[in-house]
Amino acid sequence: MNMQTAITMTAAETALVDAYNAEIGELPGEGAVLSARDTLLADLKKQGLPTRRVESWHYTDLRALLRAVPAFDSTAFAEKVDPLVAGSSVLTVLNGKADAKGAPVGVNVRTYRESLLDGVAAADLIERDPEDAIGRINGSFVRDGFEIEVPEGTELEQPMELQLVQSAGQSHSRFPVTFGANTKATVIERHLSVSDAASLVTVVSDLILDDGADITWIILQQQGVSDSHLAQVNFDLGTNAKLRLFVINAGGKLVRQEVHGVTTGEGADFKLRGINLLGGETHTDVTFTLGHDVPNTTSTEVIRNVLFDRAKGVFQGQIRVAPGAQKTDAKMACNTLLLSDDADFSAKPELEIFADDVQCGHGATVIDINPTHLYYLRARGIPENKARAMLVNAFVDEIVEELEDESLIETLEAIIAAWLEKHA
Amino acid sequence: MAAVQETIDQVALIDVDQYKYGFETTIEMDKAPKGLSEEIIRFISAKKNEPDWMLEWRLEAYRRWLTLEEPTWARVNYPKIDFNEISFYAAPKSTPGPTSIDDVDPELLKVYEKLGIPLREQEILAGVKTSRIAVDAVFDSVSVVTTFKEELKKAGVIFMSISEAIREHPDLVKKYLGTVVPTTDNYYATLNSAVFTDGSFVFVPKGVRCPMELSTYFRINEKGTGQFERTLIIAEDSAYVSYLEGCTAPQRDENQLHAAVVELVALDDAEIKYSTVQNWYPGDKNGKGGIYNFVTKRGDCRGKNSKISWTQVETGSAITWKYPSCILRGDGSRGEFYSIAVSNGHQQIDSGTKMIHLGKNTSSRIVSKGIAAGVSQNTYRGQVSTHRKAENARNFTQCDSLLIGDKCGAHTVPYIEARNSSAQFEHEATTSKISEDQLFYCLQRGIPTEAAIALIVNGFVKEVIQELPMEFAVEAQKLIGISLEGSVG
Repeated sequence: MNMQTAITMTAAETALVDAYNAEIGELPGEGAVLSARDTLLADLKKQGLPTRRVESWHYTDLRALLRAVPAFDSTAFAEKVDPLVAGSSVLTVLNGKADAKGAPVGVNVRTYRESLLDGVAAADLIERDPEDAIGRINGSFVRDGFEIEVPEGTELEQPMELQLVQSAGQSHSRFPVTFGANTKATVIERHLSVSDAASLVTVVSDLILDDGADITWIILQQQGVSDSHLAQVNFDLGTNAKLRLFVINAGGKLVRQEVHGVTTGEGADFKLRGINLLGGETHTDVTFTLGHDVPNTTSTEVIRNVLFDRAKGVFQGQIRVAPGAQKTDAKMACNTLLLSDDADFSAKPELEIFADDVQCGHGATVIDINPTHLYYLRARGIPENKARAMLVNAFVDEIVEELEDESLIETLEAIIAAWLEKHA
Repeated sequence: MAAVQETIDQVALIDVDQYKYGFETTIEMDKAPKGLSEEIIRFISAKKNEPDWMLEWRLEAYRRWLTLEEPTWARVNYPKIDFNEISFYAAPKSTPGPTSIDDVDPELLKVYEKLGIPLREQEILAGVKTSRIAVDAVFDSVSVVTTFKEELKKAGVIFMSISEAIREHPDLVKKYLGTVVPTTDNYYATLNSAVFTDGSFVFVPKGVRCPMELSTYFRINEKGTGQFERTLIIAEDSAYVSYLEGCTAPQRDENQLHAAVVELVALDDAEIKYSTVQNWYPGDKNGKGGIYNFVTKRGDCRGKNSKISWTQVETGSAITWKYPSCILRGDGSRGEFYSIAVSNGHQQIDSGTKMIHLGKNTSSRIVSKGIAAGVSQNTYRGQVSTHRKAENARNFTQCDSLLIGDKCGAHTVPYIEARNSSAQFEHEATTSKISEDQLFYCLQRGIPTEAAIALIVNGFVKEVIQELPMEFAVEAQKLIGISLEGSVG
């Protein structure tokens, strides 16, 4: 129906609007920032949260799934934890409040609150497209984060960890990050929860990689079993820029991680590696779009999903090759181990191709553990549960091993093993 | 190799006019006034001497249709269709219902002769063709002739136009019509339910293997009309039938609508093989004219170990919106979908399949080959899903796209939904262009570029062509050559 009718707001929609009205005095920024927020909220009010009728939300009916939204909690307490990799410089966002003190030497960092206050942030607070519910919610409520600039030629020896620790309430952060030409860095975006209280966390990261930048960005999401996590990474790759993006989901109740990128310089190379460890009642959605906009760019995407219990998993991946983007080489794979009859998984790997001299492919599989593999291990005296855990571990470990940093590999392997032990 | 040679010859023969079925025949027609209303539906129903229940069924569908909106999710663009500009019924005046071949207007027979469709049983028997095919010929809104009816009757097979079946076998029609594609299914299927004019009805009783290939040949001829045919095929326990469908239309500036519904029902251990060579007029090189082919095709594997196989070669139509699907309801049932979709010029194709696994131990296989040339857009859209109780569901999907030229687009949109841990789904898709090496190899041996492309493309689609019955395989190969004519610039 094209007719504009007022929607009946759900509890979550009402809670969001109420939270906005209650918090608007506290949210940083005036003038253009404030009016950008108002516009986004008005859109949210008008359209409501997306339902399955909105194509990019087909498998994650946010309107039905986001049942409740916790109020902002200014009394909640969270503290910094040890970094994933010893020696990393740590920038913390504790219950939505950022602290730029831990910035590595040679990198320019200021809190996003400052950009909101001086109005620089106003230009960021827009929707990517009419279906961008995450941009809409985050843009309405964003209160902090980091604006990071890694100057040309900088090479960071140690990882930089963006540590987001949540204990209750809501947190909405943004990370506009510019990697100058020929920079080299590893960034860990880490999401933790330190209580059982339900939280709503939204994050939008906008990464710009200038010519020749070589960046590894790792998202490790380990939120609590009642948390909602709505995240979006946008990136733009310049000439010969390289981005390796690792997404590991091992927590959260309702999780949507969006990854949207474009290659705007020839020779750009993108790698997406994903591990989704899904158990309990989680609904986890990884949605990815990549536009190969210029000739001679490459990308590979490999997503591995493991589902236990009543978990629901979604992967949507869309590779677009623009007219004239010849010699694009893009390959996408999504492999799923469905280990419970109550779990389900939906995949929509899409190709949209407007140039002829390209190599593009995608593959998707959904299977259970191969009984012959299991038999092989059991025949060697390994008990069934152990054998299953070994096979599942092998299935996801391939991805982790693509990282270069040994101590990072070990830490992630330990996290995965611990998770599997708990769920298998 | 012979068939490939034939393709090359065919391509070589054609110079200017690519669409050889574009002629128009002047035949005195009985036409309904333009537009759609309850009166028009009553008119159609009366023309066909239908029983009251059929009229009611149509009217109910029409009322439902009025509440529906045209779907817009497919990757196709076209100006809004004005349903008041279409005449929903057009029939050659000289055919007073079912008739013997000798009563058919000679002009009409000439049409089919020109199209190469054998309508005279004696000609076929005289050895013009090595194998025999029973044909139901549908001209605009009516079936003009059905061949081999008597012989099929002896085997217990009912093969007739659906209008006759409604009159002669109302119980069978009532029992199955609308049970696979309900009148409420989608915009075009609902429209079809309200206004369908003819189509074929096939009933193969228990244990019978249909003694010959059945075929329907659809022809749109009249200006300002649409074709809305309805086909219903039922294979009872352990029955087998292979059915072919062909379509052509004259070359015209206007766009004409073809909104068909095909329903297949396979009971225990039955098998239905449904093949289509779709060659509606695709429009001229500037994208003017052509058929809008908005079709709902669905098969219901209702019985245990039943099998439905769809094979389609899509070369015609300005716009194709078509997803032949299988509902794998019976335990152990199997669905197959083999497709070649060739688009050239300004054609837009959004086609694919749905495999819905409901029963245990069901399996499905999808092989789709899309070839895009010119400034066309070619989309594969498919869905594979398992129900929670559908243990051991298996699917294999392969969709490959080939791009010829840098102005066209090839897209793949699969939906994969697994709800059971014993499901085993494999999906792969690739997009590439014709390899320079392969082309060079052919050119070096003196094969001209266009013929070389036809050769390589035929290799690309071989897997699907093999699934077609013999007679169609040759025709399909020729068609692919024709559709790609002019794609090398």
